[in-house]
Amino acid sequence: MNNLLQLFIRNGGFITFFVLEAISFYLIVGNNQRQGAIYAHSYGLFAGYVYRWRSNMQEYLHLRDEVEALRKENAELRTQNLNARLVTVPYRDTSYQLLYDTISRRDSLWHKFTRPAYEYVPAVVISNSIGLNNNWLMINRGSADGVVPNMGVVSKEGIVGIVRHVDREFSTVMSVLHRQTKISAILKGKGAFGSLVWDNRDPNHMTLKDIPRHIIVSDGDTVLTSGYSTMFPGGHLVGVVEGTPKPDRDNQYFYAIKVRLSQDPSLFSEGYVVCHLFQQTLDSLQQRNDEQR
Amino acid sequence: MNSADFGPNFLRFVGLAALQVLLFKQISLSVGAFFNIFAYPLFIILLPLAAPTPLAIFLGFLMGICIDLFYGTLGVHASACTFTGLFRTFLINALEPKGGYTGQELIPAPYYFDWQWFFSLSGVLMFLHCFWFFSVDAFTFVYIGGITLKTIAGWALSMLFVALIVFLFNPKR
Repeated sequence: MNNLLQLFIRNGGFITFFVLEAISFYLIVGNNQRQGAIYAHSYGLFAGYVYRWRSNMQEYLHLRDEVEALRKENAELRTQNLNARLVTVPYRDTSYQLLYDTISRRDSLWHKFTRPAYEYVPAVVISNSIGLNNNWLMINRGSADGVVPNMGVVSKEGIVGIVRHVDREFSTVMSVLHRQTKISAILKGKGAFGSLVWDNRDPNHMTLKDIPRHIIVSDGDTVLTSGYSTMFPGGHLVGVVEGTPKPDRDNQYFYAIKVRLSQDPSLFSEGYVVCHLFQQTLDSLQQRNDEQR
Repeated sequence: MNSADFGPNFLRFVGLAALQVLLFKQISLSVGAFFNIFAYPLFIILLPLAAPTPLAIFLGFLMGICIDLFYGTLGVHASACTFTGLFRTFLINALEPKGGYTGQELIPAPYYFDWQWFFSLSGVLMFLHCFWFFSVDAFTFVYIGGITLKTIAGWALSMLFVALIVFLFNPKR
């Protein structure tokens, strides 16, 4: 109470002023026709503005849910898109039955269901590094979401990495900026395929090796994933060739092509984990191959 | 500020309000829209120097309401007088003579100060009063040109009558 009194003594002039001006304003608007009309008009404009602002704010606050829903839908559409690609090719083929079977399974005697070969799980990157010799990411999806090791992670602009260790809720992802990274890639329109590796400390470029020297490669050529592994679906953008390709120092018959990544690794924020339906089958087949060698 | 201040201020309140309503209002009505004379803010200007700001503002508001009741513009004069009451304190502080107020000066009148000092105080206050009044009267700054013209005309006429009244009565408290 004492403080309140002190406040009034110090600012009494202003308080009295504002209170009495408010009363005057109320009297003016309520008792004078012209001023009242102006007030009503201005109030209408102001209220309209405030309501519009409020509805904008509400939309903004719901943006996160909106984004979540859109990303889910996006993942579904990607799945459908790839599935459509896989199904339409066999239609033209005489071996329709054989290929059709590869994307359908029987879960009981009576019920046969079809699943796409690739499915996408939307994920958010929760940690990232680019400055080390071997860089790692962490994503907010784990075994509970169907993520298993050796799945690829892509973003809408490029590739992110490969899942290595999986917990229930989270997974660690080997970034493309890792010395063990080796991703199968092709040059768009040329068909030649090679391996993408990261062998320097430049966080924006990778090197495409194993492209034979007789292929004409020029600055600006697009590099895509090849689809020769189960990690990444074919035809996903990786980056563009930068500069004139140089011969590989280890093997003079091949190029070492500098590739500028289309997805800047310092900006990894969200992506999709690529789940391949037959990953285990194909991997075990590959393993048998390796054992024999 | 004591009970002896009540009498003169009460008389000024009634006298200036009556003068405004009975004489100056009729002059404005018969001559035209730009011919406005405001003598009643002199009551606010001549309030005792020792009067606390909230009291000055409140008395100004009362004066404004009284004038409004006769003009039929409830709130417009009150708003202007409230503003004048607030600004009076700032101006009196700003115009403080060298060495400060001695306490001998009871009201800001030419009896205690010189005419030049009184005119700077009453001139600025009256101008702000007129500007605030015509702004609130128009209730929009769309007609800022008209507001400015009315303010200047009203201010010049009002100052003439303020000077006349103060010269005739030469108030001491």
